Amino acid sequence: MQKMLVAQVALLVLIAVGFGELVFEFSVYEELTSDFGVYDDIHDAIVSTLCLSCIKLDPVSRLDFVFETANGEDHPEFVLENLTKGPLFIEYRSDVCKACDDMAPIIKDIFKLSFEKEETLYELVNYNGSDVHFYHINLDHASKIQWDSWPIYDKDHIKGVPMFVVITVKYNRGIIEPCYTAAYGTLGLDTDEERRNLITDMIDDGIGLHEDNHAGYKYP
Amino acid sequence: MNLRFKRLISQVIFFLSTNLGFRLEGVFPGLKTGFCYPFFYCHACPAATSACPLRSIEIGVYRGNFNWKFILYPILIIGFVGVISGRAVCGWACPIGLLQRATGKVAIKLKKKYPFVKKLGQYRIEPYLRYIKYVAFIGLVVVTPILIGFMFTDICPIGYLVGTIPISILNPGEFTPNEFFYIAMGVFILFLILIFTVERGWCRYFCPIGAMLAPFNKISILHVSVDKEECVHCNICSNEACPMGIDVPNMERDPECILCGKCIEACPRNVIKFERT
Repeated sequence: MQKMLVAQVALLVLIAVGFGELVFEFSVYEELTSDFGVYDDIHDAIVSTLCLSCIKLDPVSRLDFVFETANGEDHPEFVLENLTKGPLFIEYRSDVCKACDDMAPIIKDIFKLSFEKEETLYELVNYNGSDVHFYHINLDHASKIQWDSWPIYDKDHIKGVPMFVVITVKYNRGIIEPCYTAAYGTLGLDTDEERRNLITDMIDDGIGLHEDNHAGYKYP
Repeated sequence: MNLRFKRLISQVIFFLSTNLGFRLEGVFPGLKTGFCYPFFYCHACPAATSACPLRSIEIGVYRGNFNWKFILYPILIIGFVGVISGRAVCGWACPIGLLQRATGKVAIKLKKKYPFVKKLGQYRIEPYLRYIKYVAFIGLVVVTPILIGFMFTDICPIGYLVGTIPISILNPGEFTPNEFFYIAMGVFILFLILIFTVERGWCRYFCPIGAMLAPFNKISILHVSVDKEECVHCNICSNEACPMGIDVPNMERDPECILCGKCIEACPRNVIKFERT
């Protein structure tokens, strides 16, 4: 009985210390940090993000370009600035995501780029003779500005990754304004060829709209 | 108030608190926390409050890129609950336990009506089938995510039940099946057949979180004990009460016990009771 009690108390103390270390990231040498360590990581990576593989579904891709941002926030500065030179293609992903891993080779092949999945990358790419701003944003390693851009372009309010966004400019009631479209997961398509075709269609539409309208676009 | 009713109230309260993540525009913002459930429920449910502990472990080991925070965090949460009360969460808190409480009534009726169903729980091999959950936990939650990136949550029947089905109903025409959809649907159908034919069939044979909690029954503060000197081995507790099919008179901190207390209520001599330490 006594031995069991000692074992139970020892285990509870061990668990409490381990839990405190994981959540508060404290040690005897450091002060308490302001965030909640793994608590925030679990909240952001699992609870707040729709896990497309957990629901065994892919969102249907509708490639219409819209003006209103998904969460009502303004377009980020890096988007508005780059739109003067060409449309943007942004790939959002996370470290652990099978659909992201499935789509990554297709995206790399389209843009003729090579990068690691943990990397956050920006390149001005020559795509069939047109300039396209390519962003690869891994949400697990992204800066705050990059992370905050994810819900802005989550057109169908999916909150899932991978998400592919094309941002360009278009005529809207008298003025030329930024507009965007988004596709998710493995795009609801079965083969790599179909997926590749849909992504290239998105990019071609973005380039076409930019070529037609960029002369009237004014960077605010 | 009898134990059965107390347990029902507890299960309903836990079910509601598990689903506080729903959002009612202008009324309730939805509660999404960074905790892992200490029982089986899927974060993909539109109303889920917290994360599935299995998903956290899978992310932690995915393709051999070990993230120890994601591995240890759910284990510590489950460990804490396990040291205090063993598998009591399976009997008193788990929403899938609540579901099986309802389907268990059908299983009991089938057992009485069809000898074949009654036999299911009496084959010699049956106790060994209980090891499937440990194999499922180690194999599909730890090993396959490391080696090939395939995860248990890709085909999880609970994800299908509380994630896939409600999301498809709430967003008609917005989603299409992915490569695992039909496999998961098959697993889900087998899950339904299992819980309607074997009382607590999921908890007995397949639940990976049950597998994580089970060893803690050996050292938990709260457990069920039998006064073996007073017990007359009438076996009412085993044959008519225990939903997990345990040999209650001979059990000693059994890893399968979910502390539901049915045997305590059923015992005519009152020799079974909850005990601390």
